Amino acid sequence: MIPIKYNLRSLWARKVGSLMTIASTGIAVGASVFALGLSAGLDQTLEVSAGPLDIIVLRQGSSSETASGVSEAVAREILALPGIATDQQGRPLAAPELVVVTYLPRRGNAGSANVTIRGALPVSRDLREGMKVVEGRDFQPGLREAIVSRKLAGRFEGLGMNEEFVVQDKSFKVVGLFEAGGGATESEIWTDQKVLAQVANRTGGTSSVQIRAASKAAQETLLNHIKADEQIALKAITEVQYFADQAQAGLVLRLLGQIIAFFLTIGAMFAVANTMYGAIATRAREIGTLRSLGFGRGSILTAFLLESLVLCLVGAIVGCLASIALTKLFGGQSAGTMNGVTFTEIVFAFSFGPNVLMKGALLAVFLGVVGGFLPALRAVRMKVVDALREV
Amino acid sequence: MPYDASDSVVQLLDVSKEFMRDKIRIPVLTNTTLHIPKGDFAAIMGPSGSGKSTLLNLAAGLDRPTTGRVIVNGQDLGVLSEAGLSRFRSENLGFIFQMYNLMPVLTAFENVELPLLLAPLNRAQRRQHVEAALRIVSLADRQDHYPRQLSGGQEQRVAIARAIANDPVLLLADEPTGNLDATSAQEVLDLLELLNTQFGTTIIMVTHDPKAARRAKRLLHLEKGTFVQADIEALETSR
Ligand SMILES: Nc1ncnc2c1ncn2[C@@H]1O[C@H](COP(=O)(O)OP(=O)(O)O)[C@@H](O)[C@H]1O
Ligand SMILES: [Mg+2]
Repeated sequence: MIPIKYNLRSLWARKVGSLMTIASTGIAVGASVFALGLSAGLDQTLEVSAGPLDIIVLRQGSSSETASGVSEAVAREILALPGIATDQQGRPLAAPELVVVTYLPRRGNAGSANVTIRGALPVSRDLREGMKVVEGRDFQPGLREAIVSRKLAGRFEGLGMNEEFVVQDKSFKVVGLFEAGGGATESEIWTDQKVLAQVANRTGGTSSVQIRAASKAAQETLLNHIKADEQIALKAITEVQYFADQAQAGLVLRLLGQIIAFFLTIGAMFAVANTMYGAIATRAREIGTLRSLGFGRGSILTAFLLESLVLCLVGAIVGCLASIALTKLFGGQSAGTMNGVTFTEIVFAFSFGPNVLMKGALLAVFLGVVGGFLPALRAVRMKVVDALREV
Repeated sequence: MPYDASDSVVQLLDVSKEFMRDKIRIPVLTNTTLHIPKGDFAAIMGPSGSGKSTLLNLAAGLDRPTTGRVIVNGQDLGVLSEAGLSRFRSENLGFIFQMYNLMPVLTAFENVELPLLLAPLNRAQRRQHVEAALRIVSLADRQDHYPRQLSGGQEQRVAIARAIANDPVLLLADEPTGNLDATSAQEVLDLLELLNTQFGTTIIMVTHDPKAARRAKRLLHLEKGTFVQADIEALETSR
């Protein structure tokens, strides 16, 4: 076999061409990894939000809490259903919750967006295991106080610690910041349910009822029971299903990322092919010499494919690192997008797991093989006597 | 015509070669027959474009004749596949080019090692072969130098080391001194002579230079597609 150092050093010998190709593949792989990291981050956010035994009850025909309503009476009826898990004191792990949307200005004069405020009950917290106040304190019932997701606090005016924001002409004070394990709750503001109901003129009912079933079987029974009860006209879905529906969130963003990555990849493919064609044309005599020494066609093909692969893999590493560094640099990895179902801001973290990086590496291999194949084939097809006559 | 294959390293039997260019046939060799016995050192002269390089390429199996047979070291090259020819070259032939054709990104050592990578040798054995070959061309101390750090004469000597690294039965040299100054040319010719006399390597050398041709044992003159009578002594007297 032709030693790989021959190819590595040849790459090094024409630094400018190699660097340009590395940059090109780097941009393509970087953009793809960015798009994949964004999609994976969104999916992860929505995925960790869902408790496996949890159920969300909404009004029939609505696909999100913001567009739903459940009356107080019906909510009481639901809380009395059998099969609901209970806490140590024997109280049902279920909470009618009120969701209101308010329009808040982004920090840095970046326009405004809808933000979700959840009017919660004490038991609401038991239904979100990952949620904890990490700065300040919890809101007090009866007061216009709120706790805000730490990620959200950095993105909107008035949501920082001790700042105030306005809902329906009434201002709320931020007394604490919370984290919720990266789930959808991290895109929310929480406050006392009664206070929020009054401020938003939503007394007499809530948006949804959140239920934790006692078991898988109980979950099934509860779902069927609520669906079958035509009088209450509600729909019940598992939280897993609910968030899967919400995964439509950021569809435009995802699509855009993928389209850009696609075209950059096509561009990179041409760059690789162009570089390799150039490399092979200028090294025709070397190729002819290698053949005259007894190296076969397979050796030549392998050598030049490897050369193109190395080029792309280096590009991929550069691209992945740049992508990760860029997202770290801007907004500490967290980004926001519009939830396409609720039209509220959803905050998520880019996720560059092994899965995403693996796909980046695969893309590099694809680029190297596809971009390098035709040029390598030309090297193989070269007639030795003609190659040797090249100057 | 019966022939004794045992003492011939190269046999061209009624070989013709023509190239096609713009749908016009260009005959280069016409019904040429040639025997190069073992241990010979033949110089081939002839005007530019007379087919000297073509002849070497045919003998090396780098190209195939239009008609006729080429037999090298007892092997009919016509029956070999491309892969078979590659292997045959690696096991039997050494090639020396006018422009040296060293890999610019490899050191002298690595260049000489190249053909050995195709032989069933381990690293230590390869090292031995490379060092021996570099010693023969008196460049042992230059093994870590890159071609650009060597003079033309030194480059050609590295190329010779590469050509002899796996002990070929036949050395094909296409104007090996064509690019060298007189002193370097002398050194290269001294080397070829040494390889021929000391190691018994059969050599076919194409050259323009009568001084180079004089070092050979035999002179062949290629003209209008075939060999004509040539006298090495006549060369000598004309000097
Ligand atoms: N691969 C080729 N394709 C077309 N014509 C060729 C090829 N190789 C050689 N020729 C032609 O064959 C003739 C002999 O070439 P060559 O053997 O290189 O001559 P020499 O080495 O004696 O100068 C020239 O006319 C040359 O143009
Ligand atoms: Mg020639």
